[in-house]
Amino acid sequence: MLDIKNLQKNFGNLRALDGVSLIVESESITGLIGPNGSGKTTLFNVVSGFYPKDGGEITFKGERIDGLTPDEIAKRGLCRTFQIAKAPEKLTVLENMLLAANGQRGENPISALFKRRLVSKQEKENLGRATELLTMLQLTHLRNEFAGNLSGGQKKLLSLGRMLMRNPDLILLDEPTAGVNPTLANDLLEMIRRLQKELQKAFLIVEHNMKVVANLCEKVFVLNFGKVLAEGTPEEIQQNEQVLKAYLGGT
Amino acid sequence: MPVVNFLIYLLIMIGIYALLALSLNFQVGFTGLINFGQVAFFAVGAYTSCLLVCKAGIPIVLGFLCGMILSGLFGYLISIPTRSLKADYWAIVTLAGGEIVRLIAVNEGWLTEGSFGVMRIPQPLKHLLSKGTYPLFYLVLVAACVVFMYFVLRLLINSPFGRNLKAIRDAEELCLSLGKNTRKLKMEAMIVAGAVAGLAGALFAHYITYISPENFQPIETFLMWAMIIVGGRGNHAGAILGAVVIQVFNVSTRFIVRYVPLGPDVVAPLRMVIIGLLIVAFLLFKPEGLVKEKKKIYELKDNQAGEL
Repeated sequence: MLDIKNLQKNFGNLRALDGVSLIVESESITGLIGPNGSGKTTLFNVVSGFYPKDGGEITFKGERIDGLTPDEIAKRGLCRTFQIAKAPEKLTVLENMLLAANGQRGENPISALFKRRLVSKQEKENLGRATELLTMLQLTHLRNEFAGNLSGGQKKLLSLGRMLMRNPDLILLDEPTAGVNPTLANDLLEMIRRLQKELQKAFLIVEHNMKVVANLCEKVFVLNFGKVLAEGTPEEIQQNEQVLKAYLGGT
Repeated sequence: MPVVNFLIYLLIMIGIYALLALSLNFQVGFTGLINFGQVAFFAVGAYTSCLLVCKAGIPIVLGFLCGMILSGLFGYLISIPTRSLKADYWAIVTLAGGEIVRLIAVNEGWLTEGSFGVMRIPQPLKHLLSKGTYPLFYLVLVAACVVFMYFVLRLLINSPFGRNLKAIRDAEELCLSLGKNTRKLKMEAMIVAGAVAGLAGALFAHYITYISPENFQPIETFLMWAMIIVGGRGNHAGAILGAVVIQVFNVSTRFIVRYVPLGPDVVAPLRMVIIGLLIVAFLLFKPEGLVKEKKKIYELKDNQAGEL
């Protein structure tokens, strides 16, 4: 589904990504781990079009996406969340969900003014779906709260909610459970698993918690100094000496 | 009845500036586009309409329409070089844009009559009404335009389009990650805002009947900013209220000159000092302005409410 070949990204003299190659199969959950500063978030930013690449190829669903703008990439069905969850602060939680809905007719000013009936019908449908998803995320009681008043963990949940509303084929999650309480984090992981099984979504997940990674991912890539240090099943990774040395503290 | 005439004049000027404040608020308050050259829209609308009517002889209604269209087009033009700029640079470019428009008006005499200005601008339906009732008619016209634009902008802001604009203002990167074409959206916002301010320009030109580049100094943009800061950004009613407060102060103080022991050369700049202090006071003590941004609440049916 996502095929990254020899990706390069430099910041001045710093080689943030130094020839990264990585594959995410469709309907899979792939993990991406690595020490701080190893290039995980940079990889997300380049793949999602926020940073221009300095070399290499990115193919998504058989099409080259490197060089496209972030919104074009998102429209092709590849969506990402941010490490520090973002949310338009003066939109309510419910509006945040509606914001993410696909194919909204009222998004250009002409139809917003002249096709109001169609627009409001579609808004109602989206509202129904948003409400269901908020119930699932246990955010219903906050639906009319400004998103700016949410805690960091709640914003993380909301970003996942927006992803579900948007319904892309591949979701890049940047530390989805950071700042979320343990019970809810478990629910969240359960939800990711269910989405993959029932809706055949693919995920690429940056996560620091090795237990979570082992539990969730079929395949794991380890980044270190902008290079892929190792790849394999969680078991293989946990036994890889280089990985242990670089990442897990080394014993 | 000089008092009544003055009141009508004041109300018309409030109405015209209310349109300008609504337009600026649409850009700044809802979309997060810092426009320091708002007066340019005003000028483009005013000049387009009166020049087409005076020189090409088109009907005044069409002049108004062309003023709006060209001003909207100017909004589109401004948004091309600025499209990938951050807010502060957007501010600088628009400031320059405003000055460029004024300088064109000063220097391209063959088109704009230069600093002499355009004189004897015809007024709509003037021949049908008596001299006494005409200002009242114009007031009704301006008021109707304000009410109409208020509802149009409100409709837009409450639509998915408006939601996108607010989201751009608060978190542009997030919008991109959700597949929103933020450049296009900003462009559309500038066109809408340009058209609204262009209407204000046309109303102004055909009311005053004489315009020159002097009417479109950067200080006018400052006044419009004062209106949305005092009234409250992100709220249409706030923009109109701000226009009322600032215009009442700005227009009425011209007549105070007679009653205070200071020369007009002191009073005029003093007015701007006081408005400046007002802006500072609001930013410090009431940054949200007189009217806060409203929260949009969706009423859910009981079966939709889920577990609480």
